Amino acid sequence: MSEMKKIKNLKEFSTSADRFEGANLLCPGCAHSIIVREVLNATNDDLVLAASTGCLEVCTAVYPYTSWDASWIHIGFENSSTAISGAEAMYKALKTKGRLKQPDRNPKFVAFGGDGASYDIGFQWISGCMERNHDMMYVVLDNEVYANTGGQRSSSTPIGASATTTPAGSISYGETRNKKDMMGIMAAHNIPYAAQVAPNKWKDMVKKIQKGFATEGAVFINAVSPCTTEWKFDPKDTMMLADLATDSLVFPLYEIIDGHELNITYRPKNVVPVEEYLAAQGRFKHLFKDEYKYLIKEWQERVDANWAYLNRREEARV
Amino acid sequence: MANTGWDEFEIGAMLRTFDGAIEDIAGTRQEDRNYSPNSSFTASVADWRIEKPIFNKDYCIDCQFCWIYCPDVSIISRDKKMIGVDMDHCKGCGICVEVCPTNPKSLLMFPELADEETEIASWPTKEEKEK
Amino acid sequence: MAFDKMELRDIEVWDGNFAAAQALRQCQVDVVSAYPITPSTPIVEGYAKFKADNYVEGEFVMVESEHAAMSGCIGAAAAGGRVATATSSQGLALMAETLYQASGMRLPIVLNIVNRALAAPLNVNGDHSDMYMARDSGWIQFDAYCPQEAYDLNFIAFKVSEDHDVRIPAIVNQDGFMTSHTAQGVKTMDDDTAYGFVGEYKPMNDMLDFEYPVTHGVQTEEDWHFEHKARQHNDMMTIVPDKIDAAFAEFEKLTGRKYNQIEEYSMEDADVAVVCMGTSVETAREVALEMREKGIKAGVVGIRVFRPFPFAKIAEVLKDVKAVAALDRSAPGGTAGALFNEIAGALFNTDSKMLLSGYIYGLGGRDLTKKHLVDLYTELQANADAGKVLTKQQQFIGVRGPKLAYL
Repeated sequence: MSEMKKIKNLKEFSTSADRFEGANLLCPGCAHSIIVREVLNATNDDLVLAASTGCLEVCTAVYPYTSWDASWIHIGFENSSTAISGAEAMYKALKTKGRLKQPDRNPKFVAFGGDGASYDIGFQWISGCMERNHDMMYVVLDNEVYANTGGQRSSSTPIGASATTTPAGSISYGETRNKKDMMGIMAAHNIPYAAQVAPNKWKDMVKKIQKGFATEGAVFINAVSPCTTEWKFDPKDTMMLADLATDSLVFPLYEIIDGHELNITYRPKNVVPVEEYLAAQGRFKHLFKDEYKYLIKEWQERVDANWAYLNRREEARV
Repeated sequence: MANTGWDEFEIGAMLRTFDGAIEDIAGTRQEDRNYSPNSSFTASVADWRIEKPIFNKDYCIDCQFCWIYCPDVSIISRDKKMIGVDMDHCKGCGICVEVCPTNPKSLLMFPELADEETEIASWPTKEEKEK
Repeated sequence: MAFDKMELRDIEVWDGNFAAAQALRQCQVDVVSAYPITPSTPIVEGYAKFKADNYVEGEFVMVESEHAAMSGCIGAAAAGGRVATATSSQGLALMAETLYQASGMRLPIVLNIVNRALAAPLNVNGDHSDMYMARDSGWIQFDAYCPQEAYDLNFIAFKVSEDHDVRIPAIVNQDGFMTSHTAQGVKTMDDDTAYGFVGEYKPMNDMLDFEYPVTHGVQTEEDWHFEHKARQHNDMMTIVPDKIDAAFAEFEKLTGRKYNQIEEYSMEDADVAVVCMGTSVETAREVALEMREKGIKAGVVGIRVFRPFPFAKIAEVLKDVKAVAALDRSAPGGTAGALFNEIAGALFNTDSKMLLSGYIYGLGGRDLTKKHLVDLYTELQANADAGKVLTKQQQFIGVRGPKLAYL
C-alpha cells in the first residue's frame, strides 16, 4: 500500500503536477476535465487509465495528439470498464510471476465514461467489473445526456429535460422518465465503495477519490458534470451550475460503503430551491410555461423525498 | 507530420506522451518534462478564444480556486502561488474569473486583442457591497 | 516458477478443445478473459482447471459476455502480456466490434474459434460461418483439421502474433464437435520444450511500463485513418506470410510436424482438385486416394492459413489443374462462396485454364460424406473432359429437396 497524498487545503493541492493536458478539444467550460484533474491529482501513484467513447475520449486522443500523461486506452463505447479490468488482471498476473518492469510501483486503475456509456450501453460491462470486484475505479462523468453525439437522451436524463430524442414541443415537455438510480444499482453489487461527487466540492471529491484508491476492490464514482453545450448555459457558469446541483440537493453528495452503509457527506447550509437550478439551464426553459409549472413542483417533491430517503438510510446505519 | 506516409507511423496508431523515459511523472513539473510532439501540451488552442483572462497579481490572494476549477490546466501555480495564465491552452471560458473571490477580482475577461498593461493600469476598483 | 509441471505421455488421447487448453497451459498464458459458449467452452474450462490445480500461473477473468471477453483481452494485451480466449458462433458475432479494435491497435491475442453455425435458426454444430464473418477483421487466421493441429497451431499462433514485427492477433479455427469433441491421438511436447518454442512474452508499447506512458485506441479521421489501415494491410501482406513460414519451419525442426500455408495432397499431377477447410480436408484426402484407384487423378488443397490468404500459392498449385471445386461451409448470402471468390481471384489474370465450380455444403454440422465427394470428383472429371463447367457454378450438396444450383 502506498502512502496517501497529503492534501490539507487547496494551496497544498495546487502543488500537484497535472497528468492531464490542455489543448484538448473539450468545449470551453467543460466540467469533464475539471473532474478528471481532481481524480488524477488525488494521487501521486502511477495511473493506468481507460475511457469509453464519448466527449472525454474523442477530445483527448485525436491523432496525432494525446492529452494523457499516463498510459491510457480506449476501445469502444461500452467497454472502458472491462478494458481496465483486463489491464488490472494483467498487472496481477505479472506481479505473481515477477515480471513487472517496475515492481515497486502501486498503480491505480481508473476508467472514465459518460452517462451514455455507463447508464446505458456499457451498463452490463460495468456491472460485470463491479461484481468481479476488480481493484479498479469506474468514474461516470454524468452530464445526463449523450453530449458527444449531439444531445440525445440517456437513461440519466431527468424528467422535463429537452433532449434531441425527447424534445420539448407544443405537446411535449421533453423527457418523461426519471433518472436511473445508478448509485443504488452499483451499491447493490455490494462493492466496497461507491460515492457521488461534484467538482465544485473538490475537498469532498478528493477525499472520496483517495478513499477509493485506498480501497482494495471495485469502486464506483458518479460525478455530476454540468454541460455548457447541452444544458445550455454560459461556459463561465459551469461551477455555478455545479453549486446549484449540489445545493438544491438535486445532486446530493454521499457515499455507500460495502453496499449498505450510507453516509451523507455534504449538507448545504442554505438549500436552494430546485426551481433555481432548473431556471439556470436552457434545457428546462419550457418548464416555466404555465402548463408545465406543476412539473417544477413535482421536481421539488421528488428531490425532497430522495433527500429524506438518504437521511433515513444514513440514520438507520444498515 | 502532415505529410507522413503510411510507413512512418508507430503501429496501431499508438502515441507516446514523452520523448524518452520519465521516472516520476507526478513528481515532475510540466516545464521539466520532455513532452513528445504528440502531447497536446505542445499544441495551442489560443485561436479558440474571443475573450481572454488578464491576471492582476496585485489583488490575488493565492486561494487557488482558479487553479482547481480551470478545465484547461491553464492556471500556472507554483509553490502555492498563482503566477499566470497559460495562453496556449486557455480557451477563454471565463470560469477563473467567476470563481475568483477577491474584490476587485484579480482575473477579468477582456477582448482577445486587449493590451494587458493598459487593462491592468485601468483595473476596476473595489466594489462597494450594497447595503 | 511456482506452478507445477505436468507429465505428459508422448501421445495423449485428446479432443481438439483439450488439446487447445493444454497449449494455453504450456504457453503459460498470463490472462484468459473468457465467456463460455458451446462448443468452445472446454478450452477455457481447461485453463481454469489447470489454474485451480496449479498447473498454470495467470489470471482467469470470467466475464459476462463475449464482447467483454475480448474487451478484457484487449486491455490485458495492451497492459503487456500473453493473452488468449476462445469462442464460437454467436459469441464471435457479439465480439465482432472488438475484433477490429484488437487488430487495429496491433495487439497480440490468440483466439480459438471452435467453428459453429450462426443463428438463425439456432444451431450448435460446426460450419464455417463464424470463421467467414471474421475474415475481414484484420486477424491472422489458422485452420486446424484435427486435435493435433489445434494443439500445434496454438503455439505457432502465439509465436507469430507476438513477434514485434507482426503484433497482429491470431485466430486458430477448429471444427465444432468434429474436431473439438472428437478424441484422437495427439503427439505432445513436454512443458519446457513447448514453452521454449513460444518463449517468454516480450512486451512492447505496454501500458504497465510506467516510465513510458502510451496512448492506445486514438481517433483518426480522414486525414490519418487510411495510412494506419494501409500499414495494417501492408504488414499482413508482406511481413506475416514469411513469419508464418519461419514459425512453421522452426516447429518442424522441433517436432518433425510440418505445416504449410496450403496443405497439398496428391496435387503433383492432379487433373481435378478439391479446395476446402476443416475436417473436410481429411475426408477429401481419403476420397482422393480412392478416386486415384479408379483412374481419376484427384488431389486436395487444404487452406491452413485463411488470412493472410495465400493468393500466390493457390495460383501456383492450381494453375495446371483442369477442374477445381471450392467447398464453402457457410451460407453465402447472395453471392458465390468466399473460397470460390478467393480462388477465382487468385487464378484470374493468369494463363491457367482451370475450370472452377463452387459447392456449398455442411451447414449447421450436416455431414460431408464420402459419397458426396465421390460424386463431386466425378463431376469435376466430367468438366475436365468436356473442357467446360457442365453444371451451374454454384451448387448445394447434402441438402434435402429440389436441387439448388445458381450462377
